[in-house]
Amino acid sequence: MNQTSTYQKSSIGKKQIVAVTGLILILFVCGHLLGNLFIFVGPEAFNHYAAKLAGLRPGLYVVEAGLTIMFVVHLMLTLSIAHENAAARPVKYQVSNPGASKTHSSCLMPLSGSVLLIFVLWHLWDFTFSNHDGLRSVLSDGVNYGLYGVVVNSFKDPLHSILYILSMAAVGLHLSHGLQSVVQTFGLSDGKFLPVMKKISFVFGFSVAAIFSAIPMYVLFVLK
Amino acid sequence: MLNSKIPSGPLKDKWANHKDHLKLVNPANKRKYNVIVVGTGLAGASAAASLSEMGYQVDTFCMQDSARRAHSISAQGGINAAKNYPNDGDSIYRLFYDTVKGGDFRSREANVYRLAEVSNQIIDQCVAQGVPFAREYSGYLDNRSFGGAQVSRTFYARGQTGQQLLLGAYSALMKEVGRGSVTLHTRTEILDIVVIDGVARGVITRNLISGEIASFAADAVVLATGGYSNVFYLSTNAKACNVTAAWRAHKRGAFFANPCYTQIHPTCIPVHGEYQSKLTLMSESLRNDGRVWVPKKEGDPRKAQDIPEEERDYYLERRYPSFGNLVPRDLASRNAKMQCDEGKGVGPTGQAVYLDFEEAIGRLGEDVIRARYGNLFDMYESITAENPYKQPMLIFPALHYTMGGLWVDYNLMSNLPGLFVLGEANFSDHGANRLGASALMQGLADGYFVLPYTIGDYLAGVPSGRTATDSDEFRQAEKEAEEKIETLLAIKGNKTVDDFHRELGKLCWEKCGMSRDEQGLKEALQKIPEIRDEFWKNVNVPGSGRDLNQSLERAGRVADFLEFAELMVNDALYRKESCGGHFREESKTEEGEALRDDKNFTHVAAWEFQGLNKEPQLHKEALEFETVQLTQRSYK
Amino acid sequence: MKTINLTLQIWRQKDANSTGQFESYPAKDIDTAMSFLEMLDVVNERLTKEGKEPVAFDHDCREGICGMCGAVVNGQPHGHIKATTLCQLHMRHFNDGETIVIEPWRSTAFPVTKDLIVDRTAFDRIISAGGFISAKTGSAPEASAISIQQDKAELSMDAASCIGCGACVASCPNASAMLFTSAKVSHLNLLPQGRVEAKDRVTNMVKQMDEEGFGNCSNEYLCEDACPKEISVVNIARMNKEFRTASRS
Repeated sequence: MNQTSTYQKSSIGKKQIVAVTGLILILFVCGHLLGNLFIFVGPEAFNHYAAKLAGLRPGLYVVEAGLTIMFVVHLMLTLSIAHENAAARPVKYQVSNPGASKTHSSCLMPLSGSVLLIFVLWHLWDFTFSNHDGLRSVLSDGVNYGLYGVVVNSFKDPLHSILYILSMAAVGLHLSHGLQSVVQTFGLSDGKFLPVMKKISFVFGFSVAAIFSAIPMYVLFVLK
Repeated sequence: MLNSKIPSGPLKDKWANHKDHLKLVNPANKRKYNVIVVGTGLAGASAAASLSEMGYQVDTFCMQDSARRAHSISAQGGINAAKNYPNDGDSIYRLFYDTVKGGDFRSREANVYRLAEVSNQIIDQCVAQGVPFAREYSGYLDNRSFGGAQVSRTFYARGQTGQQLLLGAYSALMKEVGRGSVTLHTRTEILDIVVIDGVARGVITRNLISGEIASFAADAVVLATGGYSNVFYLSTNAKACNVTAAWRAHKRGAFFANPCYTQIHPTCIPVHGEYQSKLTLMSESLRNDGRVWVPKKEGDPRKAQDIPEEERDYYLERRYPSFGNLVPRDLASRNAKMQCDEGKGVGPTGQAVYLDFEEAIGRLGEDVIRARYGNLFDMYESITAENPYKQPMLIFPALHYTMGGLWVDYNLMSNLPGLFVLGEANFSDHGANRLGASALMQGLADGYFVLPYTIGDYLAGVPSGRTATDSDEFRQAEKEAEEKIETLLAIKGNKTVDDFHRELGKLCWEKCGMSRDEQGLKEALQKIPEIRDEFWKNVNVPGSGRDLNQSLERAGRVADFLEFAELMVNDALYRKESCGGHFREESKTEEGEALRDDKNFTHVAAWEFQGLNKEPQLHKEALEFETVQLTQRSYK
Repeated sequence: MKTINLTLQIWRQKDANSTGQFESYPAKDIDTAMSFLEMLDVVNERLTKEGKEPVAFDHDCREGICGMCGAVVNGQPHGHIKATTLCQLHMRHFNDGETIVIEPWRSTAFPVTKDLIVDRTAFDRIISAGGFISAKTGSAPEASAISIQQDKAELSMDAASCIGCGACVASCPNASAMLFTSAKVSHLNLLPQGRVEAKDRVTNMVKQMDEEGFGNCSNEYLCEDACPKEISVVNIARMNKEFRTASRS
C-alpha cells in the first residue's frame, strides 16, 4: 500500500496513470469513431447501431462509469501536473526559445485538454442526453429520424459544425502528442522506435480529427 | 636531510610490510576522529569517500558549486595500470620503471613502486563503481598505448577518462554525504591552514556566496588541491585552479618541494589573441595516430596540403626513431619549441606545428579515427573552425601539470604533523616529468589506497577530539584573512586582477617556461617583487567582501601566485641541471637534449618559508636508487 | 581577425533575496575568434575599469566538460549552436550589431545566486539519493571478472557523458530534471554492477527529484536539443520503465 501511494504521488507514477487512462480514452474514442461511421451508411444503420448499443444496458452503465472515472482521473492528475509545472518555473524567460521548431503540442496539451473538457460536456448535453424523438429528429422531409435526425439537424447549422470541427482539431492535437507520449512514458520506446512513434502518433491524431470532421462536412455538403 | 620514512627491505615488499606494521585505529574509535579534506578532485573525493566508509567523520571542501566539477574532470586520455591484459609483457616493475625513467630519475623509487603496485586495484575499484571503460567486442576491457611507454596499459573511457573516474569518486563521495558521515561544503574556499604547536589543526574558510569567514578544526587536514599551473596565467588548468591552500600551508611551515618541475603538454590548441583566457589541451592519445611535422623550409608560406611529402620534416620520427611521435611530453614540447624558434613554426602566429592524421585516415579509414578521437576532433573544430579530418591540426605546447608540490614523506604526510597532501598538490611520484595517464593513477592511488592506511597510523598516535576553534591561533588566522580581504578591496587602483595575472604569467612563461637560463631567471626574480608591489598598490577589486565577488576571489589567488612565483623561480635557478620538464640552457648535450647532473642534483629540493622577500631555506632529501640504474634518458 | 560590435542585455541580480532586472551593456570590438565567456571577460574588464561591478557568471574548465558554465542566450541554453557549452560557443556565430539577451537558468529548483549564477545543488542531492554503486573501497573484485557487452557499455557511456550543467532543466518548458536524473539511472542500471541496487536507485532518485521542485516531463524533448552532450531522451524512457518495474515489486 505504501509503495502504491509513493508511486501515485511520484511524478513518473502520475504520468503513467495519466498515460493509462489516456490510452483507455483513446480506445474509447476509436470505438466511438467506428460507430459514428454508420452515419455514412444511412439512417437505419446508424439508428440500429445506437439502439443496439443502448440494448447493452445495464452493462453499458458499468462501462460508462469506468470511462467517467478514467476521464476524471486523467483530468485531476493532469491538473495537478500542470500546477506543479507552473510552479517549477515561476519566472519566465525574456526571450523564448526561437530554435525550437517542434510542434509544441505538449504546450498545447492544457489548452487542447480544456477545449476537450468543454466539448465533452457540450457533446453529452447535445447528443447523448438530448431528446432523440422530438422536433430535432425531424428532417426537412418531415420524417422523424431519431438520433440520426438530431445529428443531421445539428450539423446543418454551420456554426454548430464549425465548433465541432474545431473541437475535433483539439482532439487530434491532443492525441498526436498523447499517443507517442504513452509509449515514452511507459518506457516502451528504444532509440529507433521513438522517432517512428512520433510520426505514427501524428498521423493517428490527424486521422482521428479528419474522420470525425468528415461527418459534419458530409452533412453540410453532401447530404441534401 | 629530510627523513622520507621509506620503509626498509626489498622494493617489492616495502609497501606490504609497511602496511602490516602501521598502527590501526579501533573501528569503534574511528568516528571520534574528524578529518578535513580540501578539494574534491580524484584524490580528494576518493580520500573523503574512503575515510568515511572506514568510519571517520569527514568535512570536505570545494570552491565549485558541486564536488563533481573539480579539474580532474578535464583529463582526457586515460589511466595506466599494470594489468597486462593485452599480454604484451607489462608488469608492475615495468610500469614502475617507465614512470621513474619518464620522471628523469628525480622521483622516489619506493613511492613509484607503490603507485605501480596499487594501479591494478584502482581499475578494479573503478569498474566496480560503474566507470564505463572502453571494452572490446568480447566484453573485456580495452587498452591503448600512451606517450613514453612501449606497452598498451592505458584504460580509457572515450576521451573523457578523467570525467568518468571523477564521477565514480564523486558518486562514492555523494553516497557518504547521503549517509551523513561526510559534510560537504561547496562554494567554500580555503584561505589559511591553522597550525598549533607545529601540528596542523584546521583551516580558515570563506563562503563564496555570503563572504563569511569561518574556522574548521580537525584531527588531521588533507590537502588535495591540485597544481599551480595557473601561475603562468595561460595553462590548460581550469580558471579557478590555484596555489592558495598549498601556499598558505607553506607559509605556515610546510616545505615546498621541487616547484620548478612543471610540465608542458605538447598537444594544445595554440594561443590566438591577447584576450585568450585559457588553453585547451588535445589528448596526447592523438599522437598514437597523428604525425607531427613542420615544413623543412623556414617561413614556408604554403598551406599544409600544398607542401609535398619530401619537403616535410617529421622531426620526432627523424630524431627519435624508436619512439617517434610517442616520445614523453617534455621532449615533444621542447622539440616543438625548437622548430618554432628556428622559424619553421606554422599557423598565423608561427607558434605552432602540425599534427597530421592524413596517413592514419588513409590506413584505417575516417570512421576508425572518428571512433577513436571524434570528440577531440569536434572540440578542435568548434574552437578553431577548421576540420582536422581534412587538414592537419595546429598544436603548440602549453602548461599543463606541475610535478612539484608540498613535500610529503612515504605516508603522504608533510613535515607538519597532521597535514597530509595528495595528488598533484604533493611532489612525490612523478619526479621531473610525468608520463601520460599517470596523473589519474596517482590521484586515485593516494586517495583510495594509500592515505586511508597511512592516516590511521598518525591518528592512532594522537588523542581524538577536535581542537576548539576559539583558540588564539584560529582567531588570529581569521583576523589575518579578513584584513587581507579588506586591504584588497580598499586599494581601488587602476589595473584589474587579470592585468596583473597576465603580466605575471607572461613573465613566468618567458623566463621560467619551456627552457630556462640563469640570466632570465634572475631577471624574473627581480621583476616578480615589482609586480607584486604594484599589485598591492594599484589593483582594482570592485564590490564587497560580504557577498559573491569573483574579482575578490581571483585577487586573493593572484596575490598568492605573486608570492609563489618567486619560490618557483628560485628553485629553477638553484637546479642548475636539466631534468624532465626543467630544461636549463646551460645543461644540455651536444645534440641539444637535456643533460642531468646526477652528482650534484640527485635530491629533492624542499624549501622552507623564511618570510616574504627573504631567501627560502633549502632542505635536501637524497634520492637513493636501489633498483634502477640511472641512465641518460634516451628515446632514440 | 574580424571584430564585431554587440549590445548585451544581461540579467543582473544582487543575491538570492533581491529582485533582478536586465541591464544593457555595449560589447565593442569583439574578436570573432573569442569564446562567449572570453567576450564576457572583456566586458567585465571594461566594467571594472569603469568602477562598476562586473557580471557574475559561473565557469571553470572552459573546455566543455566541467559543467560549470551556462546561461540562456537569446532564449536558448548555452546559445544556438548544437552540442556546445557556453564556453565553447564562439563569437563567430554572432552578427555585427546584434543584441544578445543573456539570462540565468530559470527554475524553482535552481534559485539565482547572483546575476547569471544559479544554485544547482539540487542535482547533488539527487545523486546522493542513489546515483552511485555502493562498492566500498577495497571490496572490488578483479576488473576482468565482469565482462560487459560492448554495445551496453557504450550505451552506458553515452548516458554517463552528462556534465550536470542543468541545460536540460533550463530548456524544459516545465523545468523538469528528467534528462539529468535518467542519464545517471541509465548509466548505472545498464551495467551488471549496477543491477543490485537498480530498483532502490531509480525509486530514491526520482523521489528526491520530485522533492526538489522540478517540473514533470511532458515529452517535448527540448532537453535533448539543448544538451551540450546530446544525451538522448531514450534515457528518460529507460528510467520510466525502470521506475515502473521497481514500483511493481
